[in-house]
This record gives sequence, structure tokens and C-alpha cells, in this order.
Amino acid sequence: MTIPPMLDWVQSTSLSVAIREGGLPYPVIGGLHLLSIALFGGMLLVNDLRFLGWALKSRNVSDIWYLTLPWKRLGLLVLVVTGLLLMWSEPIRLYRSPSFWVKMVLLALVGVHALVFRRSVYEDPEKLDAGITPQARLAAAISLVLWAGIVFAGRMIAFDASFDE
Amino acid sequence: MLDAFFRWLVNSPWSHALNSAEWVFPAVQSLHFIGFAMSIGTIAMVDFRLLGFGKVHAGTAELAHGLAPWTLAGIAVMLITGPLMFSTDAVGYHNNPSFQFKMACLTLALLFHFTLRRRAVHPDAPPLLAKFAALTSLVLWSAVVAGGRMIAFI
Repeated sequence: MTIPPMLDWVQSTSLSVAIREGGLPYPVIGGLHLLSIALFGGMLLVNDLRFLGWALKSRNVSDIWYLTLPWKRLGLLVLVVTGLLLMWSEPIRLYRSPSFWVKMVLLALVGVHALVFRRSVYEDPEKLDAGITPQARLAAAISLVLWAGIVFAGRMIAFDASFDE
Repeated sequence: MLDAFFRWLVNSPWSHALNSAEWVFPAVQSLHFIGFAMSIGTIAMVDFRLLGFGKVHAGTAELAHGLAPWTLAGIAVMLITGPLMFSTDAVGYHNNPSFQFKMACLTLALLFHFTLRRRAVHPDAPPLLAKFAALTSLVLWSAVVAGGRMIAFI
């Protein structure tokens, strides 16, 4: 497999070397990535479960939406930043990992999902306080499947036979 | 005694099942992640409210009450998938300092969750107790996650 020269350069930067070979930075960044899975994933689950009408039925949908929104954003921010740092630390290994590419495709689908359901669901959660629409349920179900897939694909990266340089 | 138990565990059917195909272990691990996202995420949601973050829409006690079944479901998933993974390499985990740290923190976190924090969530709890409990809860659960991550490195 030919490796794009840019990845060779990324891998040789001092930041990449420091994370990869520095000892503590790699597990610390990984730990933060994991903690933000709990934060972001937890908030996402609560929202999707409310959208499905399974959890917190005594509270308005928009109530739960706005209650979780700042933490979801913070969690996502930390997830993305730590994720990018982890990618920067071993770009060649990830480039060779099929699971990494599956994860990236699923993340792109999350973007498509957000665009598709923006108008009908996410733009105006107050609308759902009167009753959960079928689109909102569908959006929640797809969101749960996509993110479960992202977790699994992410975990599979460590098991891909791509450790050999 | 412990040795015999570990030997039995490592040779148990579920230990073999986890080693049966390459994807089974990461699949169980992913369920473990989703379980802790559900439990720790819902716990954090209440803790943040106890700390006074976020606009107050309605009572924290009511929120905690509504989330409790999901917190418990997440803990259940965690406590089923965790021992399953442990069974694949019982001796290795038992001797791993990060694993020992994680188990100590987990015991404390669970004990704390079902005793002091349960009281702190109550509407009549003194605000200082509520804030202390929320902070302690967040620190303990973060330590559990961090300890878990470190298992692969130490």
C-alpha cells in the first residue's frame, strides 16, 4: 500500500512523536476521549431515548434537548479535539486500518443525518412537545445505530492487523 | 483458592466465546462503553444540575428519579460486560495496577452513588452537601474511566 507523503510528514512532526512516544500523553488523550464518550454519548442517549418516547416522558422533549445541549457540545468538542490528536499521532497506522475508514464513513453519515433531519426535527424541538413525530423517532433510531457503529468501529481499530509499520 | 477460581474462569464457556472470533471482544467492549455512557452520562447530568450549572427547568430530584432506571440499566450492562472481559485474562487483570485502581474506584463510586449521593439528590438536602456529593461523584466516575483506559498501558 502506498502511503501519501503528507502522512509521513505528519508522523514526523514533533507533536506526533511526542504523543506517540512520550509515554503518558497517549493514554491521557485516550482517557479524555473515553470520558467525552461518557459525556457526549450519555447526553445523546438521553435525547434519543426521549425522542423515542422511552425515557423521561413527564418532561417536555425541548426541555431535555436544551438541558443536554451544552454538555453534548462540550463532549463533542473534547471528542473531536482528542480524536484529531490521536489521528495526528499515528496517521500511517490509521490510514492502513479498515475500521478507521468505516468509522470515518459513519461519522460522515452522522453529518448527512443532521442535514436530513434538521428541518423536520432538530431546528425546532419545541414542536415535538405537542407530540413526537414519526420523523423524530426515525431520526433518534438512526442516530443510536450510527453512534453504536462508531463506537464499535473505533474499538475495532485497536484489533485491526495494522500494527506492522 | 483465587488461582483455582481464575483458572476456572479463563476456561469457562463465556471466556471461550469471547475468544471465538476477533470481533467478539471489541463488540463486548463497545457494549461496555455504551453501558458506561448511559450510566455515567445520566449520573453526570444530575451532578451538573446539583453543582448549579444550566438553566433550571424543573426539580433535580425529579430529573434524577426519571433517569434512575437508565442509570441502573447502564450499570447493569457495565457489570455484565466487565466481568465477561475479565474472564478472558483473569490473572492478567488481577495483577494489573490500573485494573486494581479501577476496581477500588468503582467500589467507592457505587457505594457513594447508592448512599450519600442518593441523599444529596433529595430536594431537602443542604446545598453544600449536594455540591460536595456531585463533585465527589464526578471525580470518582472519571477515575473509574481513566483507570480503565490505563489498563492497556500499565
